[in-house]
Amino acid sequence: MTELATMQFHPQPQAGEAKPWAFPAPTRGALGNGLTVLRCHRPGQQVVAVEVLLDAPLEAEPADYEGVATIMARAFSEGTDKHSAEEFAAELERCGATLDAHADHPGVRLSLEVPASRLAKALGLLADALRAPAFADSEVERLVRNRLDEIPHELANPSRRAAKELSRQLFPATSRMSRPRQGTEETVEKIDAAAVRAFYDRHVRPATATAVVVGDLTGIDLDALLGETLGAWTGSTAEPRPVPPVTADDTGRVIIVDRPGAVQTQLLIGRVGADRHDRVWPAQVLGTYCLGGTLTSRLDRVLREEKGYTYGVRAFGQVLRSAPDGTGASMLAISGSVDTPNTGPALDDLWKVLRTLAEGGLTDAERDVAVQNLVGVAPLKYETAAAVASTLADQVEQHLPDDYQATLYRQLAATGTVEATAAAVSAFPVDRLVTVLVGDAAQIKAPVEALGIGEVTVVSAE
Amino acid sequence: MPMAHTATDQAGTGGLTATEHRLANGLRVVLSEDHLTPVAAVCLWYDVGSRHEVKGRTGLAHLFEHLMFQGSGQVKGNGHFELVQGAGGSLNGTTSFERTNYFETMPAHQLELALWLEADRMGSLLAALDDESMENQRDVVKNERRQRYDNVPYGTAFEKLTALAYPEGHPYHHTPIGSMADLDAATLEDARAFFRTYYAPNNAVLSVVGDIDPEQTLAWVEKYFGSIASHDGKPAPRDGSLPDTIGEQLREVVEEEVPARALMAAYRLPHDGTRACDAADLALTVLGGGESSRLYNRLVRRDRTAVAAGFGLLRLAGAPSLGWLDVKTSGDVEVPVIEAAIDEELARFAEEGPTAEEMERAQAQLEREWLDRLGTVAGRADELCRFAVLFGDPQLALTAVQRVLEVTPEEVQEVAKARLRPDNRAVLVYEPVSPEAAEDADPPEDPEAEATVEAGDENEEAAK
Repeated sequence: MTELATMQFHPQPQAGEAKPWAFPAPTRGALGNGLTVLRCHRPGQQVVAVEVLLDAPLEAEPADYEGVATIMARAFSEGTDKHSAEEFAAELERCGATLDAHADHPGVRLSLEVPASRLAKALGLLADALRAPAFADSEVERLVRNRLDEIPHELANPSRRAAKELSRQLFPATSRMSRPRQGTEETVEKIDAAAVRAFYDRHVRPATATAVVVGDLTGIDLDALLGETLGAWTGSTAEPRPVPPVTADDTGRVIIVDRPGAVQTQLLIGRVGADRHDRVWPAQVLGTYCLGGTLTSRLDRVLREEKGYTYGVRAFGQVLRSAPDGTGASMLAISGSVDTPNTGPALDDLWKVLRTLAEGGLTDAERDVAVQNLVGVAPLKYETAAAVASTLADQVEQHLPDDYQATLYRQLAATGTVEATAAAVSAFPVDRLVTVLVGDAAQIKAPVEALGIGEVTVVSAE
Repeated sequence: MPMAHTATDQAGTGGLTATEHRLANGLRVVLSEDHLTPVAAVCLWYDVGSRHEVKGRTGLAHLFEHLMFQGSGQVKGNGHFELVQGAGGSLNGTTSFERTNYFETMPAHQLELALWLEADRMGSLLAALDDESMENQRDVVKNERRQRYDNVPYGTAFEKLTALAYPEGHPYHHTPIGSMADLDAATLEDARAFFRTYYAPNNAVLSVVGDIDPEQTLAWVEKYFGSIASHDGKPAPRDGSLPDTIGEQLREVVEEEVPARALMAAYRLPHDGTRACDAADLALTVLGGGESSRLYNRLVRRDRTAVAAGFGLLRLAGAPSLGWLDVKTSGDVEVPVIEAAIDEELARFAEEGPTAEEMERAQAQLEREWLDRLGTVAGRADELCRFAVLFGDPQLALTAVQRVLEVTPEEVQEVAKARLRPDNRAVLVYEPVSPEAAEDADPPEDPEAEATVEAGDENEEAAK
């Protein structure tokens, strides 16, 4: 039953002429203290973004004190030689600034955002935090307690609980990657100011750090400003830490994290893939997008737009840790949630999508649309200073050249359908996927077992 | 061209300007040029939200928003998504209490395509709307509800507190996601009637911002939207007016399987668009914004009774706004301890008002938030539509930050004194109940955040 429209129709318009756009090229330099600096002027971006990378990876944490890198990262904004914790927070907010810090496998990262007019003052505060953090006993103790309080909240969140289980399943118990990034209750409760200070003394120094500054820098003498602020940070020299090899067990299997009564099942289906230095990366980005990058990709076309099992399922590749020689690793995964009664049928369809892809490959039309989207959205995606700074910092952290992103766009445009298919199929082989399901085991175990996608085990959610 | 050209040009934040136009069919158009990056944002606000829904049909505005992506006269199936993404653009739609918005951000040379697509569904959605897409999107939206509300701890807090803060029968008593029963009950005919009632050019504002040629853009807007008929069948929304204050403390205790006790509250505050609302925003920022706020310092730093504590402002134009308090307790701390500390801090603030330094901090924070909003073409397009739809004047978007900076400490104190009182709030208390197997001996470990999907938010319709 249709309804006649009264409007006047016109044919679909053709695109105008594309205007040139290139991923911004940063200028690289170094301060007298050895700190590497990347800068990039982005006219009109009034909020300046500063990223600082510290060569303090999670595998450098003492085994008994896992979580110490996280506590240190948080403690940077809890007082310096000039300000108490409360004063420091107040001074930062007086600049209209935000400062986030977090620890991940490659290192600790601080992200500052501040209006250009108050950059000088905020950079001074950031430099104080790095140069002379207070790490006061009482503040560290509070951060530790706070961190312990956060753990039950994270365990209760289905997607975070799934991620934790997948790491535990994939990596050997000896690997730092098998365990929670922010430590366990057992290790976090041991952390004190002395442990934080020791980690800082050992791993934080300007010679192995990098700062990235992006935004509208009109009228700002950045050299002078950096010299007075981050330039005043001192420390010994050190060799960069070698990156340990990553091994993983991706034997196809299913782990159900039991959450009785859950109305949905959280899916996280993953394995470990190549370092971002690998030649396959552009084709894998393209193939993964075709599989599950958006609502019109293969997975959602069936699971969402045909069957209505889900609000959305995504496939993605994410760098875990990259090494200069390309021996690092990434996580390749499919994630989403489906309603409990349809968990079996949804997984069945998901596997069918993967098998169909392996058998028939991608079409040229799919490849073309994916390239047009991935390359075409670049100017939108990198409109803000924060987006540019974050990608430049990722490149440094992953030991990639400063023009990596710009090159990646050219490589994507040059990648054919056959290469994209091959990359997607080898990224998601149906018999080498670890499936984590956070849901009601009593309802989903039997239907999932019937699919024959691997041995099914049930673990407790707690 | 048959349009009343009412261009006003005045420089606002960072020298931004906007011009206003109106087509003969009533479609209001706002244009703002910015040639720094070769991108253009298209934003379309329809003056319809969940407040227009009737009893038994909650969630219909949002379900309908999903149907707007299921094809129209000249666009097949998922063509709207496919064409925009294939052109290197990004897109989405969201539904709130007061409006439904649709937006595309395009490489500048693909702007015309976005206008053609928006016009096609505004003029001819019903040519494509069928049972199949209705049934499918009903299931998708129910799964959206499960994922974002029903299957996460504290997920239904917003819904519960809203129902408490606005009385039964009030248009804001229910949230845009709607109830499962009402989503099940919605029919194809409901959707058709909804479109016929609310989706008209004279009930919408279109903004186009970025690297555009205004004359060419207006010509395209006229070409694609100009022939869509206006109509005036829209009923006035139910009256959302309420007394300035609630007059008593409303309270609900929820016993659920949640990881920790929590205290949440909603304070009744002045309507969006008023100077008093900006003053309330500053008061909430001083009290509970960021990590130097009074409540954060008191509960998280000094008393150490809370894991997190903060205030947010839900700005509303058609009903009183809500000041949103959220505190998760630390360890075994009981809710009355937290509540007493909060009441003490709020009373002290009402008594003293903000210090000069607190005002400076709060204004600097809100200024940065505005710079962030206006720093992208999509953010600017959305704000221009917001001020045009809710307050009749898009230019107000460009001067909003100045208005926040003009508020005085006395005005902040005044609104705090009048509104941030125990007898002007709805309180929701969470008391955890544990499942029987809670004494499991395994030490809990920390989950990780790595599996969040980058593309997720950008590419899905969402109910705000």
